Amino acid sequence: MDYPTKQTKAWVTPQIVVAIVLFGTMPLWIEAVGLYQYLGVEVIIWMIFALGYNLLLGYTGLPSFGHGAFFGIGAYAYGLAQFEVWPNLWFCLAAAVVVTAAFGAATALFLSHRRGIYFALMSIAFGQIFFFIASKWTDVTGGEDGLLDIQRLPVEFGAMSLSTRSNVELYYLCFALFCVLVILLWRLTNSPYGRVLRAIKQNEMRVSFIGYKVSVIKWSVFTLSTAIAGLAGGLFAMAQEGAYINIMSLQWSGTIVLMVLIGGGFVSFWGPVLGVILYFVARDVLGAYTEAWLLWFGLMFMLLVMFKPEGLAGMWRDLLGTLVTRKAEPKGNPAKVEG
Amino acid sequence: MALFEARHLHKRFGQQVVLEEINLSFEEGRLSGIMGPNGAGKTTCFNVLTGRYKPDRGQVLFDGEDITGSPPEKIVRRGISRSFQIMNLFDEYTVLDNIVIALPGIRKKLTNPMHAIDADSEMQDRAMDILDRVGLPGRARTNSKSLSYGERRALEIGVALATEPRLLFVDEPTAGLGADGTSRLADLIQSLKEHTTIVMIEHDMQFLFDVADKISVIHWGQVIAEGTPDELRANPWVRRSNLGELN
Amino acid sequence: MFYDLIPHLINGVALGLLFALLALGFMLIIGVMEVINLAHGALFTLGAYGAVVMMAPDGGFPYEFMQPYYDLPAIPRYVIALIVGPLLAGVVGMGLEVCLRRTYGADPLYGLLLTFGAALVIEEVIRGIWGSSEYYLPTPKEISGGFIFGDLIYSTYRIYAAIFASVMIGMLWLFLNKTPYGAVIKAGAHDSEMVRALGYNLKVLRLLVFGFGAALAGVAGVIMAPIWGVRPVVGVDAVIPAFVVIVLGGVGSFWGAVSAGLMVGIVVALTAAFLTDWSLLSMYLLLLLVVTFRSRGLAGKASVLEA
Repeated sequence: MDYPTKQTKAWVTPQIVVAIVLFGTMPLWIEAVGLYQYLGVEVIIWMIFALGYNLLLGYTGLPSFGHGAFFGIGAYAYGLAQFEVWPNLWFCLAAAVVVTAAFGAATALFLSHRRGIYFALMSIAFGQIFFFIASKWTDVTGGEDGLLDIQRLPVEFGAMSLSTRSNVELYYLCFALFCVLVILLWRLTNSPYGRVLRAIKQNEMRVSFIGYKVSVIKWSVFTLSTAIAGLAGGLFAMAQEGAYINIMSLQWSGTIVLMVLIGGGFVSFWGPVLGVILYFVARDVLGAYTEAWLLWFGLMFMLLVMFKPEGLAGMWRDLLGTLVTRKAEPKGNPAKVEG
Repeated sequence: MALFEARHLHKRFGQQVVLEEINLSFEEGRLSGIMGPNGAGKTTCFNVLTGRYKPDRGQVLFDGEDITGSPPEKIVRRGISRSFQIMNLFDEYTVLDNIVIALPGIRKKLTNPMHAIDADSEMQDRAMDILDRVGLPGRARTNSKSLSYGERRALEIGVALATEPRLLFVDEPTAGLGADGTSRLADLIQSLKEHTTIVMIEHDMQFLFDVADKISVIHWGQVIAEGTPDELRANPWVRRSNLGELN
Repeated sequence: MFYDLIPHLINGVALGLLFALLALGFMLIIGVMEVINLAHGALFTLGAYGAVVMMAPDGGFPYEFMQPYYDLPAIPRYVIALIVGPLLAGVVGMGLEVCLRRTYGADPLYGLLLTFGAALVIEEVIRGIWGSSEYYLPTPKEISGGFIFGDLIYSTYRIYAAIFASVMIGMLWLFLNKTPYGAVIKAGAHDSEMVRALGYNLKVLRLLVFGFGAALAGVAGVIMAPIWGVRPVVGVDAVIPAFVVIVLGGVGSFWGAVSAGLMVGIVVALTAAFLTDWSLLSMYLLLLLVVTFRSRGLAGKASVLEA
C-alpha cells in the first residue's frame, strides 16, 4: 500500500488488479451490501478527482483548498459543450478536461512560486474567485439554479453506440476511465517526475540545488491535477444530469482534502481511493442515524491528524508490518519494513 | 584563467551590508578555503555564489561565462553544486535515492514520465559509485533520516557530487562533528580533491590549513587576506584577527 | 459626487478595520505557533453566537431560566455580550491549541489540516445547538439606527463599529509594543529559544496567545453580527476577506494588515455601491494586482511558513 520504496517498470501491479476486480464487480454486489448503484457512480467519480488531487497534496505537499472550483468548471464545461457545440461524449469530456486545465494552468501561474501559507491562502482566494464568478455569471452558468438537463451522452466508437443512461452503464464508463487513469498515474508517480514531486514536498530548496526548476514542476503538476479534476467534474455533470454551483464552494474544496488525508494520501498511492470510499460510506451509514454525521466525521479527521496522519493506508501498513514482524520475529521496527 | 571568479560582490539585507566588496577567484583542480569569524558573511557569500541570493552589485563568472543572478538550477546545470551546512536532505528517501535523484542522467529523463528509476541499472550503479566515494556504500538502503550526524554530512556532500559538478562548494562540513567524525571527513575531502575542484568554508583551522591549496579570509564583508596556508600563517592581519589559535 | 460617497467610505472603513482585526488575531497565532488557523472563521462565528445568547431571548437558552437576566437594560447586557462572545471563542481556541500541540515541530501542513477539521466540527456543533436558521443580534438603541448629516443618511452602528475596531487595534498595538507581554509574544514570533531564555513557559504562552487570537476573532464576530446576521457559515464570509488582507498586507506585518484591511474594506464598499453583485470580486482583483508585483504583499517578510 505504500508509496513504493522500490520503483518498478510494471504497468500493472497486484494492487491494481485487486482494484480493478473490486471496482469492476461493484455493480454486482453493491446492492447486496445495502447500498445503491448511484452511490457507486459518485464514489468512482470522486476517486478520479481524489487521485488527481493527491498529486498535489500527498506527493508534492501543496495544500490546495480551492480544488472544488476546478471540479465545478469541468461540470459546467461539459454541459456547455453539450448545449452549445457538439453533443458527443468524447468531445464534451475532452472539453471538460481542456477547459479546466486551461483555467488551472492560468491559476498555477500565480501559485507555482508559492509555498506553505501563501500557497494555501492563494488557493482559497482563487477557488473563491471562480466560485464567485460562477454564481454571478447567470447567463453562462445558470447562477444559483445551475445548468439543468445535462445529458448522459452515449459512448460512441464508430458505428457502435453504448448507452450511459442507467447508473450501472454510467458506472462502467467511469470505471473504464478510472482504470486508464490509475495505470497512467501509477506509471507517472513511479517515474523520475513522481520522485521529484515527492522530493519537492520534502525539501523544495534542495530540489532546485540539484538542478530542477521547481516552479515549472509545480506549475505542471497543478495543471495536471486540475485537468483530472475537470474530467471528474464532467462525469459528475453526467451523473447529476446538471451542473450546480455548490460543488465549487469552499466546503467541497475542503471535503476533497478531508477524503484524501483520511485515506492516507500522504503515504500511499491508494490512500485517496480508501478515503473516498470511507467518506461516502460514512455519509450514507452514519447519515442514516444522525443528521450531524459530518460532526463525527470531522472529529475522526481531527483525531487522525493528531494521532495517525498517515490515515487508513498508514494503519493498513502498520497492520501488515505487525504481521510481518510476528512471522519473522524480532526483526526490528515495523515502521521500517519495506514493500 | 581562473575557473570561477567573483568580482566586486555587494549584498545588503535591509540596512545591513553583509558583503561589501568581495573579490574571489578559484583555480581549476585546487581546493580553496574560505574562513572568517562568525557573522563575517561566509555563508551569505556562498549563497550569492551558488544562486540562492542575487547580489546587489558585482559579477560572478564561471568558465568565462557570466552567471550573475542565475537561479540555482541553472547554475547547477552549468556544473557548480554545493552542500549545505544546515543539512538539506530528502528525509523520506533512502540514502541511495537521495543520490539517484540528483544525477543529471535522471534529470534528463524527467520528461519521460514512464521511465522507472529502480529499473535503470546504469543510474543505480553510478549512484553506488558516489556512495563509495563518500564512504556510505553499506548504507544505501537505509532511510536517510536514520543516519548518524557524520553520515548525514557525508551524504550532503554525496548529493552535491551526484550532480556531477566541475566545481563543488562545501559549507562547513565538520560543523558539529567530534574529533573522530572530523578526521573521517578530512579523509573524504582529501580523496575528493583528486577529482574535483572544491571551495570550502571551514571553521576548523587546523583542518583547513591541512587540506587547502589557497585560503581567503573574509571579515566585515571583504576579503582581508588571501594566500597559501604558509603565507597566511605569516600574515599579520590573520594573526591579529580573532580567528583562533594556529599551531 | 465625492460627497455622496462618504457614507460608503465609512462603511468601507468599518468593514476594513474588522477584517484587519480578524487578520491580526490570525497573524498573532501564526507568529507564535507557526500554525495557519483555518478555524479562525468558525471562532468568529462562535463569538457572534455567544453574543446572541446574551442579547436575544430566543438565543438558544431556556427563556424562563434566563428571564431575570433579559429584564436587565440593553446596555449592560450588550457589554456582557461583548465579553461572553470573545470569551467563548477564546476558550474554544485554547482547547484547539491543546489539540495542536501534537503537530508542533511537524510539517506546518498538519496544523493547517487540523484546524480545518476543527472548523468543520465547530460549525457542525453550532448547527446542532442553534440550528441552521439565521439569528439577529439586537443592539442597544444608542448605537443603532441612523442619522442625517448634511443631505446624507449615516448608519450609527457602522460608525460605532469603525470606532470600536480602531480602539481595539490601537490597544492591541500598545499591548504588543509597550508591555513586557507584548515583547515576549514578539520574541516568540521570532525565536522560541528566546522565550525560554527570558524565563517564560512556552507552553503557557502558546495557550494564551492562541486564546487571545481566537478572542479577537470572537470580538470581530460580535461587532459584525448586526451587520451581516448570524448563520453557521457566516465565518467563511469573514475569514476569506481576512485571508486576502493577510496575503495583501504580508504575513507578520501589523500595519501591513491594517492598511490592507482598509484597502479591502473600502474597495469592497465602493464597488458594492455601484455593482452590488460583484463587490467581492473587486477584493480578489486587488489581491491579484498586488501579489503580481509584490509576491509577499505590501509589507511581508520571508517566513518559516513558506518552507
